[in-house]
Amino acid sequence: MNLDWLSQYTVTVLILIVTTVGLALLLHLQMGLAGIGNFGIVGFYGVGMYAFGMFLVHIPWPENWGTIWPFLLSLLFGTVAAGLAGLLVGWLIVGLDADGILLGTLGFASIVYGLSQTNRSLTGGAEGMGTTDYPYDIGTQKAGTLLWLGILAVVVALILYYVIRVHRSPYGRLLIATGQNEPLARSLGKPTFHTKLVMFATGSAAMGLLGAMYGVMLHYIRPVELGIGVTLAAMVGLVVGGAARSWGAVVGTLLVGVLFELVFMVWIPFPADWRKQALPVIREMLYGSTLILVLMTRPLGILGRMRRDKMVRRPGRG
Amino acid sequence: MAEGTAVPASRPSVHVQGVVKSFDGRVVVDVADLTLGRHGIEGLIGPNGAGKTTLMRMIMHSIRLDRGKISFDPGDGAPEVVISSEPAHAIARMGVVKTNQVIQDFEQLTIWDSLLLSASQARDERAYRIFREGRVWSQYGDEIQGYLDYLPFDNPFGFAGSAGEKKLLDIIRCLLLRPKLLLLDEPTAGLPAGTRDRVMELIRKKASEENVSVVIVEHDLNVIWNLSSYVHFMAEGSVVLQGDPAWIREHATVVEKYLGKGHVGR
Repeated sequence: MNLDWLSQYTVTVLILIVTTVGLALLLHLQMGLAGIGNFGIVGFYGVGMYAFGMFLVHIPWPENWGTIWPFLLSLLFGTVAAGLAGLLVGWLIVGLDADGILLGTLGFASIVYGLSQTNRSLTGGAEGMGTTDYPYDIGTQKAGTLLWLGILAVVVALILYYVIRVHRSPYGRLLIATGQNEPLARSLGKPTFHTKLVMFATGSAAMGLLGAMYGVMLHYIRPVELGIGVTLAAMVGLVVGGAARSWGAVVGTLLVGVLFELVFMVWIPFPADWRKQALPVIREMLYGSTLILVLMTRPLGILGRMRRDKMVRRPGRG
Repeated sequence: MAEGTAVPASRPSVHVQGVVKSFDGRVVVDVADLTLGRHGIEGLIGPNGAGKTTLMRMIMHSIRLDRGKISFDPGDGAPEVVISSEPAHAIARMGVVKTNQVIQDFEQLTIWDSLLLSASQARDERAYRIFREGRVWSQYGDEIQGYLDYLPFDNPFGFAGSAGEKKLLDIIRCLLLRPKLLLLDEPTAGLPAGTRDRVMELIRKKASEENVSVVIVEHDLNVIWNLSSYVHFMAEGSVVLQGDPAWIREHATVVEKYLGKGHVGR
């Protein structure tokens, strides 16, 4: 297969965008439905990434296990570790108000960032640590990365399918009710704290899986990958698309991602010496100003309100 | 405090003992001993600020108690449970349910949504049950449709529009929880007269046919005199008098503190 028209860099940027779509979808469940504004996405993503890497590198795997089993078990470990982190953080914050949640999750992300730079023997410190190549070999590095993009796209598509089903299930109704009027939901016999905690922890676990999968593509994980930019990209994408809609995360993140990461960073022929210093900073500013602009002009995002009056009908009777 | 005479013990009831609540040092509720729900439909009346709503919210544990204990007797032979240490959702699950005085709604949920939410059980709402919608409709749809036929809304697939619709929705949501003891906090405020009568008829039926105990807080006293078979009169945080509606109506204390002289003989 001739892949000359596609640069390796473009494929990695596409992986970044698809990962961000997945994160935005999970954020949609947390923030758009249940009203938990999680500003610590990158924390759970980072726990997944580093737990995957450390587990894979430091466990003395038996020789006869090959590469695939240690790889899959490490992915699972990263997911579970992020889920446990979500359980702990969720237990501390889901009962708080919006400000408390913002600070708590933001603080958690900072802690993860800090931890990733300590314990050199485990994490590699500030320089980071090498993890692994893809668990398969199909020729060139670019082809391998492309296959990884496909696998990641399947995972994100499954997340999207789950989110769409949640909108059409009693569970989604419970999440929306909890997010909109928690005392009323409680008075209807709904255990809102438990509901939010379970949702937060499972969402965090899935964020950890995405972090671990992104870490696989990186081959070499470093603390700089755990900056606020990850959270910001998912947050901006979701808000631009429409936080209350399941497709909002997809539409918004694709739009913003393609525009800023591909068009701005890759396709526009800026002078080469801008790329290292100026452009990444300008991109961060673009994310911030987009968020402000959207919130000022169209606070509900491109897709707008949740239209349950159009959607909810008795099944099988039109 | 006057005790009620010859009470049948089989109805679900709530027992309030030594319950105190104060806000900023001002005692709002101070009830030594009170049983609600023994007489089918009971009225809880009193002037503004008497602590009626606060007492009800304390029963539902949406306000914490400073002191005291509240327990619930389900009336079906099951043992009495202390509910003042239970979380609000557990109290609702046991069958102690309250409608809201101030309008409460879920902004993005339609009327059908809201009612299905109320009818759904915890087993329907697990995070992994993403194909459960059909079951929920077939299980609770007809019951909900029954309520919607009796108390029609403009567009039940849309959102509750007027204050009256929201109030009505609140009441139906509570009925769908299959309450054993139903607390109604000013249920008729904001309802059109025709709807109000139908709601009251429904409540009366629930009390007589399904053994639901009902406690009504209401400023429209005609509702109290017509509907209730027992009345508690509250003033300044405690229950001052209890008795038959007719007796309460004529009692000097009630007349002086609440009804005013002009009310007698009206």
